[in-house]
Amino acid sequence: MEKITIPIGPQHPLLKEPLSLLIDIMGEKVTGGTLRLGYVHRGIEKLAQSRNYIQNVPLIERVCGICSQVHTTTYCYAVEKLLGIEIPARAQYIRALMCELERIHSHLLWLGILCKHIGLDTIFMHTWHDREMVLDIMEELSGGRVAHAANKIGGVRFDLDEDHGPMVISIINKLQGQIGKLRDMVMHEPTIKARTEGVAPLSQDDIRKFCVVGPVARASGVDVDFRRDDPLPPYDQLDFSVVTHTAGDAWARTIVRVEEIEVSMKLCAQILQDIPDGPIEVRASRRVPAGQVVVRAEAPRGEVVYYLRSDGSDSPARLKIRTPSLTALSILPKQLSEIQVADIPVVVAGVDLCIACADR
Amino acid sequence: MRNIFKKLKIFTAIIDAFRNEPETIAYPREPLVLPKGHRGNILMLNPEQCSGCGLCVRDCPANALELIKDTRTKFRLDYYPARCAYCGQCVESCRNQAISHANNLADPTSNPDGSVIVLKDTLEKENEKDS
Amino acid sequence: MFIQLLFYGFVFPGLIFQILCAWVFEWLDRKLIARFQRRVGPRWFQPLADWIKLISKENILPKGSNELVLTILPILSFGAVLTAGMYVPVAGFNFFSFEGDLIVILFLLSIPTLAYYLAGIASIGIYSFLGGSRSILQFFSYEVPLLLALSGPAILAGSWSIQNIITSQLSKGPFIIFQPLGFILAVVGLIGKLKRDPLDIPKAKSEVVAGALTEYTGIRLAFWHLAMNVQAVLGIFLLINLYLSWSPMDIPLLSTLAFIIKFLGLVVMLSVISSVFSRLRIDQLADIGWRILVPLALLQLLVVIFMGF
Repeated sequence: MEKITIPIGPQHPLLKEPLSLLIDIMGEKVTGGTLRLGYVHRGIEKLAQSRNYIQNVPLIERVCGICSQVHTTTYCYAVEKLLGIEIPARAQYIRALMCELERIHSHLLWLGILCKHIGLDTIFMHTWHDREMVLDIMEELSGGRVAHAANKIGGVRFDLDEDHGPMVISIINKLQGQIGKLRDMVMHEPTIKARTEGVAPLSQDDIRKFCVVGPVARASGVDVDFRRDDPLPPYDQLDFSVVTHTAGDAWARTIVRVEEIEVSMKLCAQILQDIPDGPIEVRASRRVPAGQVVVRAEAPRGEVVYYLRSDGSDSPARLKIRTPSLTALSILPKQLSEIQVADIPVVVAGVDLCIACADR
Repeated sequence: MRNIFKKLKIFTAIIDAFRNEPETIAYPREPLVLPKGHRGNILMLNPEQCSGCGLCVRDCPANALELIKDTRTKFRLDYYPARCAYCGQCVESCRNQAISHANNLADPTSNPDGSVIVLKDTLEKENEKDS
Repeated sequence: MFIQLLFYGFVFPGLIFQILCAWVFEWLDRKLIARFQRRVGPRWFQPLADWIKLISKENILPKGSNELVLTILPILSFGAVLTAGMYVPVAGFNFFSFEGDLIVILFLLSIPTLAYYLAGIASIGIYSFLGGSRSILQFFSYEVPLLLALSGPAILAGSWSIQNIITSQLSKGPFIIFQPLGFILAVVGLIGKLKRDPLDIPKAKSEVVAGALTEYTGIRLAFWHLAMNVQAVLGIFLLINLYLSWSPMDIPLLSTLAFIIKFLGLVVMLSVISSVFSRLRIDQLADIGWRILVPLALLQLLVVIFMGF
């Protein structure tokens, strides 16, 4: 049988964002694949050097659509560290609330996409309906469903009124029931388990060699979570559990992400209970003193690292972003070399790539 | 035995979905309700408070606002809705709360560089008063 | 006489009736699946609007492919299913029946599958090739149980003509009571033949983009869709005639109403099955087809032959 090359090309129903995968198959077995990136490169790091710090906040928000809140949070913490100011506690808690809501909606989106590519359109639509509830909360609070301009240098832009808190709690309670039903469906549905169990397992050595982070690493037993290991301000006062699993295949990654939704919902309830009163912003000057800083945070897909260097003016001298999807992409060709053709959607969708984050 | 009931959960899910109302609306035929803080087009809420300081122009990441300034009181503020990203940074930066968002959905346009909205214009009036 | 033949050929049960039934089936299927997914679903004229839109698009084919072959294949499929539709009784109305027409119908209904495979090979493109080769693998897995299951009622009634099978059911009762296993196998085979959800491996959107029809546009694609939908409607009519055709009285109006209700019931069942299961892998399908379905079909056939019910 001869070798054929399938282009999972820049446009394909399997991919959310453009990416070029050239997969070599022989019969029904995959023998390898090559990757090409760069279709969504917008030059954000260079653009950030010609704009001032306040103009950069909406720019950084548009690095990725699904994890936009985490990027602006990390950037604002980096600038505030250089300025030497500390934002009030209420602003820290509101930032954490939006980050956790974003983690919930990102994992629900991923679950829907995985079920769609397996063939279960029904669970896809039901999952995205539950995600709409989370987006409704974010729209009520901040004014935008996906691009919620919530952060600014020195604090947050909006405040939680007296009626926002109970509204958020009531929607989260309703969502808890729905997520419970969804979890039962996904965990006990025989076809999902049959399609994902034993597919492309990753061992702990592979994880450490390729520096993979996020739920992919936690599904293989590597216990790393930057909300606990290197916490940004409100997370060191909240308690939550980190979900790990040992198998390392696609089924383990599914379990880890579904359990993380539950952990995030408990965190949201805890944040709304413990939130202190006070102001929500602090005045920040436009010129940032010279220095350099590295800040890390936990995005829904793993660890996000920001390096910021300033030279005393009101524009950054260098901004470098390292997103977690780059590491997941680096291990993708290795995962593709030991599966069958029908498992390609499970692997490519199961690793939860965000190419816009990877290309910047 | 309980596992069989859990396996049948998807059947009950689709029967529930069939009995309830659908969650999507047929948009042009049914009205769309936007929440209160929705960020729509930029408009000048309090024109008399705008002092022409230019902070909104300096902080706009998309160069959608432009200030043509003659003297301290004679200026014109232009807004290009096709370049706007609806981020709200201008509303946040304004010290006098003169500029704000409308609560609408932005309309599409086929002439991006030609559509300009003048937000505040004191150039012509001062010229008329002088002559 | 000639006018009567023209009427049978073009209006009922010929061209116009089958096209209308195909569009009604497509609308019902899409609306039900949308309601199961909490969506609104398309309006009643959506399949007609899609057909009109498709015939107004431009016709392009890949460079280097054989244009004659690719144009004949949809016409051949459409013609085959229309011819098969002339012999299938609809609510008791039957004009051309002869001994052995069940076999002719089954033969004509397997032409679209072969045409699909040829279209996949002839439109040179990697996705079409994969879709076509998968469709032939799937054909080998479901066709044998389907044919064996559809032969059961014929052996029970003692004749290979569908009209005689219907007449025999009016006296004995619907054959689903005697052969429930055969009915289940026929439904599974029909789902495989129509390439619907648990078995839509040849046109799985996330692996091969649209299967063998990836490179088709314009009026040729419009006729492919019509051929597939008419095939679906004829498959359902066959199932109703072979297993379910029993009505309490012999009044034409009541038997038409009963036929419509059975048609709706089968469409609802097919839509529910499409919404609930995920797609199988091709090796799992070959496994299930030859390890489970064929022995069960043979068992059903032996029960019919030796025990007479």
